Order: sequence, then structure tokens, then C-alpha cells
Amino acid sequence: MIFPEGATRRTSVKAASETLYDAVIVGSGISGTIIALQLSQVGKRVLILEAGPAEDATISGYENYMQRFYGTAEKDNQAPFPPNPNAPMPRSPGVKKIAAGETDASNYIVQKGPFATDSVYTRVLGGTTMHWEAKTPRFLPEDFAMQQQFSLGIDWPLDYDQLEPYYRQAEHEFGVSGDVEEQKLLGLRFPPGYVYPMLKMPHSYLDQKVDEGLRGTSVELDGKQYDLRIRSFPQGRNGIPNPAYDNGKGFVPVGAVSTHQVDAGERCQGNNNCVPLCPVQAKYHAGKTLSKALQTGLVDILPQSVASKVNVDAASGKVTGIELKHYRSPDSPHHETVTVKGKLFVLGANAIENARLMLASGLHGSSGLVGKNLMDHAYLLCWGLMPEVCGTMRGTNVTGGIVGLRGGSFRKQQAAFAMDIHNDGWGWATGAPMSDVEMLVDERNKFGTDLRKALIDQVSRQLLLAFMVEVLPETGNSVTVNPRYTDALGNPRPIVTYNIPEYTMKGVAYARDFSKLLFQRLGAEDFTHYDPSDYGYATYNGIGYSIRGGNHLAGTHLMGTKKEKSVVNSHQQCWDHDNLYLVGGGSMPSIGTANITPTIAALCFRSAKHMIAQLS
Amino acid sequence: MNLSHIKTVEDLKHYLYLAMQLEHATIPVYTTALYSIVPGSNPDASHILRVVAVEEMLHLTLVANMLNAIGGKPDLTRKGFVPTFPTALPDGETDFEVSLMKFSQEAVETFCKIERPGAVAEGTSRHRKKVSKGAQLAPVPHDDSLSFYSIGEFYEEIRHGFDNLYKEMGDKLFCGDPKRQATAEYYYSGGGELFAVTDIKSAEAAINLIAVQGEGLGGAIYDNEGELSHYYRFDQLRRGRYYQKGDKSHEPTGPTFSVDWTAVYPLKTNTRLADLTGSKELYDAAAAFNRLYADFLKQLTAAYNGDPALLIKAVHSMFHVRDGILQLMHNRIPGSDSLNASPTFEIGGV
Repeated sequence: MIFPEGATRRTSVKAASETLYDAVIVGSGISGTIIALQLSQVGKRVLILEAGPAEDATISGYENYMQRFYGTAEKDNQAPFPPNPNAPMPRSPGVKKIAAGETDASNYIVQKGPFATDSVYTRVLGGTTMHWEAKTPRFLPEDFAMQQQFSLGIDWPLDYDQLEPYYRQAEHEFGVSGDVEEQKLLGLRFPPGYVYPMLKMPHSYLDQKVDEGLRGTSVELDGKQYDLRIRSFPQGRNGIPNPAYDNGKGFVPVGAVSTHQVDAGERCQGNNNCVPLCPVQAKYHAGKTLSKALQTGLVDILPQSVASKVNVDAASGKVTGIELKHYRSPDSPHHETVTVKGKLFVLGANAIENARLMLASGLHGSSGLVGKNLMDHAYLLCWGLMPEVCGTMRGTNVTGGIVGLRGGSFRKQQAAFAMDIHNDGWGWATGAPMSDVEMLVDERNKFGTDLRKALIDQVSRQLLLAFMVEVLPETGNSVTVNPRYTDALGNPRPIVTYNIPEYTMKGVAYARDFSKLLFQRLGAEDFTHYDPSDYGYATYNGIGYSIRGGNHLAGTHLMGTKKEKSVVNSHQQCWDHDNLYLVGGGSMPSIGTANITPTIAALCFRSAKHMIAQLS
Repeated sequence: MNLSHIKTVEDLKHYLYLAMQLEHATIPVYTTALYSIVPGSNPDASHILRVVAVEEMLHLTLVANMLNAIGGKPDLTRKGFVPTFPTALPDGETDFEVSLMKFSQEAVETFCKIERPGAVAEGTSRHRKKVSKGAQLAPVPHDDSLSFYSIGEFYEEIRHGFDNLYKEMGDKLFCGDPKRQATAEYYYSGGGELFAVTDIKSAEAAINLIAVQGEGLGGAIYDNEGELSHYYRFDQLRRGRYYQKGDKSHEPTGPTFSVDWTAVYPLKTNTRLADLTGSKELYDAAAAFNRLYADFLKQLTAAYNGDPALLIKAVHSMFHVRDGILQLMHNRIPGSDSLNASPTFEIGGV
């Protein structure tokens, strides 16, 4: 995918501030780039504001991220990306346990607790899709109607069938590899004959061993039997194109982004480094969509420009411009403040940053719901050692799992979950394999060939089960701002107040028992332990669990049918300001048990259509 | 004066075997240069070398498809399939030598010569008197005293061979089992797609792809699929600048880049096992690499003989090949005046 050379220098702060664009978009992540592409393809002029530095995306720049990742001791999700005090990012290694009544302001996100979240997002070109894992399941039809089905949560103003065509558009954009037949459960429907652009990623050997061990096992929940079949996850990474796609037209995978022909990344190589960065760009990232948008010649991008205020005309309610702080270098807070103008404005930062920007502009919404109902999947990790070598660490991070308990009548009482079989060992839970090296050297005095053998025996038997547990909207879980807490440019930092709802904890407790059953059936030794000093420690019924964030941030400007009860309508158009769209996870009234990016993308394809209609 | 020497299907099979040998021979050469680059340095040069090497695999597989199409049995395990380096290649009136050597300006000049063969003047023979004494890639079968004028002329001979035999035999020429064809799903290339060869049209297309993309025949910078031809990919390294669509030969106008010719391991050119006897560990590692590479050729042979899905497994093998090469290159040869080891590719019959 060719990123046009010079595209990031097409405009200047001065020129951009003197232009009336059809649309000004904040953020170059999944939402912003899809909308920029859709609008520019019908001839609209678009300006993208990017908070981070954004040189022309050539392959050596991407590989500098890789080099940075190799050279960093802490291999967290943000390891590849240089720190930038002018557009800071949350980082999980800095998260601390919060004592009752305490506020932790030592990291970018100010945390008021009581639960400390380690969820992050990435403020670079391409946004958080640079480090996403790229699983692309759809939401279940019942996820859109939680109130109707289970008398819980908030219903969406649209249903699965209305969003279905846009899911297909998203799957085309990502280049999804998967098997539609395996996805047809719990009411998930596809048009007859539909296949994904590419064939499914082959199951890891570990998946196959787990499937073998669990065959015939089922669980009963709310009087119903659930089988524990291992199914493949659809994913946004390049595999073998399906010749049957698009009525037999097939599909051409989109490879690495560069300013010159580079011919890399057309297939996943199984490097097992999907998160935080695919070494070859076989994993989809929004830079691919951005490149296409820039090729239209109608999209300008202003890098190092942090949106700081949404200006609104009090009389009409219309947004008149977006104020931005443009800095010359990440090393200095020196900046100039300018205002850019458009017919439409789109905030595509993410659920926390969109809310932060709205609140920093004094826009709480007539419903008062801006920043409220923050959601993120609660992840419970359970880890064990398989009785035999299972080839852990070969292939992509995750190829399969148990998704049969994503839906069902039990959701009246407890949260549903999807379970991943992690093919990258215990890393997420324990820091493996580095922690294994330390243990084998320090505690068992291994070295040389012995050490190598012991490492293989230890690591390639590791089984990590990650339970993605649903979280429902609660107004108490929120993003706020306070002038006391600002970043280097003087922009207010997000303040997060968050607790894990009881409904979710019931699901967490069930998931832990479920994991014990699985380990027992597999003959795996259970090594799971949750330390009360862990920042994500939470108890339910006297038992403690460590919860991790999912980076699936949602809910802070949720969509609905009424102005009084929501922030945006089903097109993600702000009730209060009809030329302002708040897009992304923030619009979602529920997050079910699916990674949210495919649904964000589907919503943005749908919203773009509405924007085009509004512009003409 | 270009009477075809390919008179029978057996002749054509032999030429296609020689073509596979030729296409394969570039892989040790390009990968040696590629992996001699210090990891993390020279990203531009690394990608250019990587793509060409990957596309040589595509060409190799396309030739195997051609051979399968006419009922042949591709065999990469035959003694002498992997040449002894340095080896000679025809280049117009004379020959040039191809060595296993580190990435350098000299290496790039050789690569440009490999990828840009000259065509003979119209009406003259595509053969000439052989210059070099030893073995030569793309030789003229049955006549040791002759050489093809260039690699391009070698492929022209194959093209005529197909044409003439097709005129004689019609579709009977393509008697191979289509199941033996390796198709796009089993292979991903840097650019250009793998396809089945089942008739004269697809055989022509395969020769064109190899000739235009690889050998730069016709002087086009981009091939029909919009892929930059190998000669121009390498030419970018001479100029520190990328080509883009619409450019003229030797005048790239795309993004510029720099090459750090010093961020390269100082390999001993054409390392032989005999050079490594001073270090048992190095010797053993080099011998083990040759066994690994021989196994890789065995695996490819099985893939080309009815089990194309093995090409997917061959990708794993290529990672092992890479690791084996890196291991050798990161080690000094004792008493060698500060030179590092390199894979020797001394592969006898497998």
C-alpha cells in the first residue's frame, strides 16, 4: 500500500487554518481514517488532526517502532512508540493499586479508582490499531438489545440486521481471514453465500490439543447445555485469499504501508508478535486505510496538532471550529494555537479522549452523559501447564477459543464471556518467557543447553486462557477533567473513576470455576494465582481475582433514540450540535463479548453515509 | 540462424531443469547478501534484496509448473543442482562470475548483471563460443564448447521449444497432471502471482513473467502487473532512490534513501567448509546448515511432485534457513584476518 510521499506536508498550520474543509476529523485511528476515506472518495475535502508526530509513513519508520520494541526492557503495548509529553499515552507498567479515597495522578490518566485500570490507547498515526491484536468477531444480535432481552443495560438505537451490511464493509477494509460457518451461532446471521475475504487462520497446535482434551465436555448454565467446542476467531490479518469472496472475484491482500513499492506483509508469518506490533504489517492497521484516503489527494493531515477545544456558536448550537495546539517538537511544549474550520466536525479520538475533549470544551451534553458510562472488557487470566509440549509461541497470538458462552438466557443473572486460548504463553499474566528465564537461571541454576531445553519444556507447555467478560454501562464509571491535572501543553488530562460492576464479577467468578474444569479435563497443572497487592485485584463473595483491562474503551458518548438519554443518535451525530459527530467506541451502549473495533468500523461506515448526505 | 535445439519433449524437460537450476542459483547469492546486513541497519537495502529473493522463489516454482505441465518431474536433489560458487553466467560476448559474498557495491553490480541480460542482434545466433573453463549456469546441453549469449537468450530458446513442440503435438504436449501444479494459495510472493501452467497460453505467460519481471527483457521498468523489475530494484541501490510509476530508466524520482555499506558483516567470499577446519563448532554449524538446506530442497522437490501444500511448510523451513545463515555470519573464522563465516552451500546429491 503506497503512502503518497509528502502527504503529511501537503498543508501547513497556516494554510489549514485558512481553508474551509468539508470535514475536520480529530484522530487518524480506525474511525477517523474510515470516515476520511469514505468522504474523500466522493470528492469531499478533509482535514485530519493527528496529535502525534506523523512523518510520511514509510517502511523504515514502521521498522523503527520494531527496533524500539526490541530494545526496550518493558514489552508492554506501548513499547514500540516513543514517549511524547505533548500527546501523552497511558502505559500499563505505571499503573498502581489505589487505596480507598486516593487519587493516583502519577500517570497520564489520573485514576480515582476504586479499581485501577491498565487499559491503554496509542496516540500515533494509525491510533490503537497499531498495537491491536486484530480479532474481528461481530457483536451478537442480543448484544444490541440487552434491556429488551435481559432487562439490563441500555438498548442500541439500531439492531444487528441494520448494521450487518456495514460489518461486511469493515471486513473488506480489514481483510478478514475467517470461516463464516464457524461464526454462525447464537443468532449471528450472514447473507447466503457470504465468505470472508480470506480463509481462516489455521488453528495453532495448542488449540488442537485443547480441543482434543475437551471433546465431549459440556457445561450447564440456567438450565441449558453449552458445548465447549473450540472455534476459530475471524481476524484482520492477511492469510490465504478466498477465491469465492465477492461472488468469485476473490481478494487481494493489502500489505505493508510505504512511500515506495515494498511488497511486504501480504501474509501472516506467525511471528507471534501481533501485540504490540506485527513485524511485517500482515496485521491490518488504520495506516492502510489512511494511505488509501491520502491517495485521493483530497485529504490533508496536520501532525503534531492536539485538538484542545471544540468551539460552539451558542445561538445555533453549531460547532464553528476546533482549536488545536500545534507543537514543533515532542521535546518542547512550545506551541501555537490555531482554529480550523469545516462544514462538519468528527471526533474520532477514542472513548476517553473524545470525552476529555468535549468536557475540556465545557460540553457536557444536554443529557449530562458526556464522559459517563465508561466501559471496558474485564479480562480474567487463568494459566496452567499442559501435560505435554504443545508448541506454544508458534503462530499468531490467538487463533481459537470458546465462544459458545457469549450469549444465552443466563445473561439475566451474570455476565457472558468469550474465552481466548493464548498462543503466546503466560506472558500477559506473568511476563513469560522472560520470567521463565529468570526463574530457571536464578532458582534452578540452569545454563547452556540445559537452560535451552528447560525453557522449551516450560514455555511450550504454557496455556493461558483469557476470559473477556462483559461490562454494562454505569453512570458512575466515568471520565472527567479538572484544571488541576494538565499535560505539557496545558490540556486537561482525563480523570477516570471506575469500578467493576457486580454483574461482571459474577461472570468473572464463573469463568474462574470454568477454567478449573478445563484444566482438570486437559490434565493441565493450574498455576493461576491472584495477589491481593495486584493493582487489578477485586473480590467477589470473599474470593479475590486479578482483573486486567481490555483496551476496549466505550460508552462515554453513547447513542440512543432520545436526546435526554444519550449523547448521539444512531449515526453518531451529536444531539446538541448537528454538525458534530462523536464516533468510535464511545457511541456504544453495550460491548457484549466481542473486541469492539469491527463494530466501531461498521458504525463509521454507516455514519460516513449520513455525513455525505448531510454535506450534499 | 536461430534453429531451435529443442526437438523433443525430453529436450524441453532438460532445458526446464536447467532453468530451475538457474532460478534457484540466485537464491543463495541474494540471501547471503541479505543476511550479511547487520540486523536493524539498512532497512531499504534489506527489503530490496528480500523481495527479489522471494520473487526468485516464485520463478523457480513457475518453472516447476512448466515442467510438471509437460509431464516432467522436478528434482532439486540431483547432484550438481546447486552450483559450486563462484560460478559463471553468460553476459553477451563474455562471462561473469557470481560469488557468495557480503552486501557491497561490487555485489550490487553483479546482481544488476544477473538481472539484465543482453539480447543478441536480430538474425545472429543465440549461441556463442564458451569463454569460461568451468561449469556455467544455463549451459547449452550436449555441446560443451558453446554458451548461450545471455540468460535472456536461454529463455528465448525455451519459448521457441514450447512453440515448436506445440505446433507439432498440440495440446498433447501438456499431458501433466494438473494436481501437481502449485497455485496462488500455496505461495505468497512479493509481487506477481503464482499460477498453474496447463496450456500454451499459460506457459507463455510464465515465461513472460520470468523474463520481464526477472530478466528485465524489453527494458520495461515495471512489468504487466505493475511490479518493478529486478534490475531496477537493484539499480535503486546504486542511486539511493526509489523508482515510481512513470520514471525513465536510470532516472528514478521516488523517495530517496541512504545505504550504509559499512553496516555489513565482513564475510569471507565463497566460504568453503575447508576454510572452517580451524573451528570445530563453526565447521559443524556449516555442515549442519548444508544438511538443513539439502532437506529444504528435498521438501521443495516433494512439493513440486504432487504435494503443493508442502510449500506452506517450506515457509517454516525458510525461517530455519535464515537462522542457520545468521548463526554462521555472526562468527569470526579463526585465523582468517577478521573475516566472518558464511554458509557454503556445498550440497552434493541429496
